[in-house]
Amino acid sequence: MPEKFTDTIIRALVRFFKAEWSGAFVAILILALAIEFSTSGRPFFHPTNLMTILNNSAAIGIVAGGMTLVIITSGIDLSVGSVMGMTAALTGYVCSFWGFPPWMAILTGLSLGLLVGAFQGTLVAYFGMPAFIATLAGLSIWRGTGHLSTGAQATPKLPINFDLFGRFNPFANLRNEYKEGNLEGYWETFGSFIDSNWLNFFRTFQMSMLIFILFFLTLSIIITNTRYGRYIYAIGSNAVGARQSGINTSLYTMMTYMLCSLSAAFGALLFLGRAPYAKSDYGQMWELDAIAAVVIGGTSLFGGRGSLWGTFMGVILLKLINNGLTLAQLDTFWQMVVTGVIILLAVGIDLVRQSKNPKNVRRLLVSVSSFMAFLTLMTPASLFLKAQISILEHNSSKSIQEAGEKLANGQTARLLGPKEIDYFQQIISSNTWISVLCLSLFIISLIPLYTPNKLLTVIIATFFIFIILPLIKIGYSVTSPFLIFGAIILIISLFIDIIFERARKLDNSV
Amino acid sequence: MKNLLPKFALVAFFAITSNAAINAQDVIGYITKSATNAGWMMINQGAEDAAAEEGVKLVSVGPAFQGDLSSQLEVFENLVAQGAKAIGIAPVDSAGVAPAVTDAMSSGIPIIAIDTGVSGAEVTSFVATDNYAVAKVQGAVAATLVNDGDTVIYVTGNQAQSTGQERRNGFMEAFSAARPGSKILEVPTEWNSQQAQEGVEAVLNSNSDVKMVVNAWDGGTMGAKAALENLGYGAGDVKLVGFDGASDAIAAMDEGWVHADTAQMLYQMGYQGIKAAAAAARGETVSSRIDTGFFLVTPSTSGVYKQMVGIN
Repeated sequence: MPEKFTDTIIRALVRFFKAEWSGAFVAILILALAIEFSTSGRPFFHPTNLMTILNNSAAIGIVAGGMTLVIITSGIDLSVGSVMGMTAALTGYVCSFWGFPPWMAILTGLSLGLLVGAFQGTLVAYFGMPAFIATLAGLSIWRGTGHLSTGAQATPKLPINFDLFGRFNPFANLRNEYKEGNLEGYWETFGSFIDSNWLNFFRTFQMSMLIFILFFLTLSIIITNTRYGRYIYAIGSNAVGARQSGINTSLYTMMTYMLCSLSAAFGALLFLGRAPYAKSDYGQMWELDAIAAVVIGGTSLFGGRGSLWGTFMGVILLKLINNGLTLAQLDTFWQMVVTGVIILLAVGIDLVRQSKNPKNVRRLLVSVSSFMAFLTLMTPASLFLKAQISILEHNSSKSIQEAGEKLANGQTARLLGPKEIDYFQQIISSNTWISVLCLSLFIISLIPLYTPNKLLTVIIATFFIFIILPLIKIGYSVTSPFLIFGAIILIISLFIDIIFERARKLDNSV
Repeated sequence: MKNLLPKFALVAFFAITSNAAINAQDVIGYITKSATNAGWMMINQGAEDAAAEEGVKLVSVGPAFQGDLSSQLEVFENLVAQGAKAIGIAPVDSAGVAPAVTDAMSSGIPIIAIDTGVSGAEVTSFVATDNYAVAKVQGAVAATLVNDGDTVIYVTGNQAQSTGQERRNGFMEAFSAARPGSKILEVPTEWNSQQAQEGVEAVLNSNSDVKMVVNAWDGGTMGAKAALENLGYGAGDVKLVGFDGASDAIAAMDEGWVHADTAQMLYQMGYQGIKAAAAAARGETVSSRIDTGFFLVTPSTSGVYKQMVGIN
């Protein structure tokens, strides 16, 4: 019997949300759509943009990959940023100043990473030192060692071989050959194809990205198919039980810290492949970014649960925030706020996903639509508030002045001329009633959080749509996408219970 | 991170007590912003040379990492408590250090602000480049390198600091006045060359018509250069304009990447800052604003500049 179309969709949804990386993925999609709407010029979903994000995620991504393993064992490694900085600096140093051939410098860096990991792993696994403390000490020690051994100086220039880990483009040679007319037959057709699509596609097809993806493929195969992979999950969820069932937990814990530091050292190589020179202050705060990426990707900080692909998505989300908000030319301080909100969103989706409770899903959707109402509200309200605050500040500075006190620099700047006061008052009067209207929409949009009444939800969704008219009339048509999106989300929230019920039935029938 | 702070405080403490016991030299505290940044190393060198010349004991301390206000405040208070005769400080946060500076000034310790000013508190002297004025020169020179209507990228410094704000404002004003039809795309950073590299790469990717990248400091210039190399551009395809005159940017100028760089007299900043601190410690009056000047480095003047600051 052919399955109904809706059932197929529900099955796909269930499978999607069972994956640990779905929270981060949804956040990536929402953010990317928002950036797409707010940037002009070349579309954001352009292959070269996506590949640039992958290229720039590569180094921190590999560091975060190693961190994932440690966190799965319910440990933590705060030293990765310092290890990355030290190995990057020393690899470059022995290459530039000691005349090591590149391969030997690379081996030096990687074995340095292994040694650091063995040292920290021994402290944690065999001496029972808390991972937080052992690696916090490492954070300081390896950063200091890096500065000391290289004098905190940048290396002059790295040999071209390091490009193989970063900016090397496998198609660049072919394109050059084609341009010089050295190609024949099929190769020539291929060369001209590359050349004509250079700016649109091939320019950003670089080793960073390839190594990044290959690394995660390899590591996830290891994790899912080997005894090592099963053991670290066992250690993370119940260390005592794992030991009693005969797993050499100390050995596998130490191995995990070695893998993590090795990844940090390997991440350093990828970073060197794109950076201007090698220096010991690279990788500051990377431990925080790596941990953030792992947690956003749905891996539990308490260990035993998590996936590498979640971390992959987490890293991309973090980089997407940076690159996307820059492309959207958002104000610096707003970027900081938005970054935090997006991280909350990703982790919120993950929490709701784990609860497997239709009530929570519905509430999440309602909160998203309320947030849309809030954004709409802020469009007129920010102008209103700014004008109101300016006038208040003017009045308060004025009253200080009248009381005979001397004004500080900042306070004098708050005084307004009569023209400015007129201007602000005009803004206030023209935005008052629309702000009140939007505020009432926002407050009403919060109601479904407390009651699942369906009729009420439909009425509120209609209100979302109807408020578009006065907003467009007054010149705030930018808010229309928010409102339409909010209304759609509200309507979807009506069907959550049905979807869950059907999904449970499907699950039972299998 | 917080656990690092006591360590730095201790270092400062021992440095002062041990040296004070050995000789009766005046102790001048010097709190730098970074011990690892190429530009700051030149400033620190100037400070050390000035101390040696004046015959004072210089206690220099750097923050645990760039931008760490709390460790800087802690070190500052320790220096005051241990009886430093004067303190030269490069604040990581112009407003954040103000209360501590006011306290020290009122207890009679002269404070010299170096490179970055203190907002909201009086200091004995402020020794720095006039960032705003120099950034205006940078903007005017950059304008001559492109046509009106060309798109350019500006890599900002930390916009929570006066240095970052003044450089951005100065550039924007002068450049927009000369090239009103040009679009300026901003890449925000916190003085981090990795942010500069990634941001420039992202913006260049979606705007292939960018003609020039102007940077608020030379770490950004090197990051922007790496971004250009990553995307396969050659020297001169997209023009670079720097700020600071750091040696690596000047080397990139010789290779044809950088077309102009407004150099701060970094060595002079440290040198004159500690000279002023020593003079104030002896009770002499010092000028409240010492401008250390700038030098416009272009391919034709780079030889003179290199000779002047000793880059070979």
